[in-house]
Amino acid sequence: MFMLFKLPNNLNRKLGRAGYNTLLIRSLFVVMSSFLLMGNNVSAAESANNKLQVHGFIAQGIIDVNGSNFVNDDGDLSFELTEIGINASYQISSDIRFATQAVYLNGGNRYSEGVRIDYALIDWSVYHTENWQANLYIGRIKNYHWLYSSTRDVPHTRPSIILPQSVYFDGTRDMSVGGDGIALATRYYDDGIGELDFNISSTESSISDEQTRNIMGQSSTGSLTHDSDLQASIYWRPNYSPWRFGLALTDADFSYRKGQSDMFLDGGLALKRFYANADYQGESWTFSIELLQENMFIEGLLGPSFNRDATGQGGFVQSQYQLTAELQLLARYEHYYANKDDKHGADLEKMTNGMIPKYFGYQNDATFGLSYHLSNNLQVQMEHHWIKGTARLTPVVIPDPVVNKNEYWQLSTVQLMYWF
Amino acid sequence: MAFPSHSIQVIVNKTIEVSSLKTVQLRRIYSMRQLRWADNSAIVVYVLPSQHLIHKKFSKDVLHIFPYQLDRIWNKLTFSGLGVAPLLVKTQADLLHAVSITPGAIGYVDNYTDNIDKEIDVHVIQITK
Repeated sequence: MFMLFKLPNNLNRKLGRAGYNTLLIRSLFVVMSSFLLMGNNVSAAESANNKLQVHGFIAQGIIDVNGSNFVNDDGDLSFELTEIGINASYQISSDIRFATQAVYLNGGNRYSEGVRIDYALIDWSVYHTENWQANLYIGRIKNYHWLYSSTRDVPHTRPSIILPQSVYFDGTRDMSVGGDGIALATRYYDDGIGELDFNISSTESSISDEQTRNIMGQSSTGSLTHDSDLQASIYWRPNYSPWRFGLALTDADFSYRKGQSDMFLDGGLALKRFYANADYQGESWTFSIELLQENMFIEGLLGPSFNRDATGQGGFVQSQYQLTAELQLLARYEHYYANKDDKHGADLEKMTNGMIPKYFGYQNDATFGLSYHLSNNLQVQMEHHWIKGTARLTPVVIPDPVVNKNEYWQLSTVQLMYWF
Repeated sequence: MAFPSHSIQVIVNKTIEVSSLKTVQLRRIYSMRQLRWADNSAIVVYVLPSQHLIHKKFSKDVLHIFPYQLDRIWNKLTFSGLGVAPLLVKTQADLLHAVSITPGAIGYVDNYTDNIDKEIDVHVIQITK
């Protein structure tokens, strides 16, 4: 049934290079002209007709990675850190709303570059009382389940430019960002319990050729298809509490169809992820923790009767401190291992006769960052990551120890962002 | 030196026949978790910019929530397709005007009685615990 809602995921593939460039320039033009016409007072357009809201963002950064192929293969300073988006929301009737957002993203090796429809959905307010609110979202929707999943590409909504890779792994971005399908979001409130949110969704996402190669390896010529997906989450904020707690799960199946002279065979991949998170928001301090357990089952692909069942675990603890009205500091530590029964990667190295070094079994990251508010809607963010291990680098199925030959690597980045 | 004293008042369009709201209800309205009045008409929420002193006072003293928490809630709604954020106006005069002409509107101003304008007619509502 979700075929009904399918939208072209990679517009540049459909439109060809020239069409894609025109589209990119047009969207840039729209963002910039809105900015120039309305300045900061974009709400002028909104007040005139409060059924329509238009918002957007534009961000450009510089990123330097020493010791891995996270952004590029040559290790040079890179400008491949562009995020532009424009969205509109229109209230069609008292219960029906249409909302859409187009984005242009460039993250180097992290995901495929180009213009995409980020979401395009009908929001139907199916049930509402003073205590309950239930909405059904149909179309291309986002992943509304993890702490930052629904706005991972929107720079000013993120705690850092590069999100913790244990949970927000860029290598599987296309399949975790959302997809075409349906979601039900219910919000409940009562004086005793506080706020309770329950979300459930089922989507299919199109996986770009680049993302397929990021997952499988550069020698893959086949295609990876997202067959089914079920996601659910529950969030609870006790009344007047600065804390919020969440649990989420994802159950997704993928199939791989081999291409011409492919080193891989047909096969399947089943991915189950469990999340738990807590978020504290105080006057000067925030504290966040998000934990993940993922089970990846691979069948076929590497041999007719091959299968691999591994459970990875990871997560991060993070704190933000508001030093002055403009300046906010960030500190975060994250830990991830691809197989909980082989936390130091020793078995991985042994099994592959030393072809894959043990540091592909884990990835830990200590991050320090700051954001500075230049004005209401303009902010600069910068951060440095000290990383040990390469388990969250691509390709995933067959890692590349030739390019990623360092156990220790670092990443620094600065990004300027504007939104309205 | 102390800040000049502010008395933040919550105002609604005169079509709204509500004389008081509980703090938790107002908080639900401003976090966009309650989108309708009791008569099922849509609530149109107006705000001043996050950096505005009156917005900060309203957020902390009336809603008991920090302005950045509201920003995070609204950003998530706006940039993920989940919902809409309140409508932003630049000044208190703009806000007063918008609430007075928009059916179902709610907003807040500082010392409403002190700057009575005969052209503007809104209801002040009581906020109770």
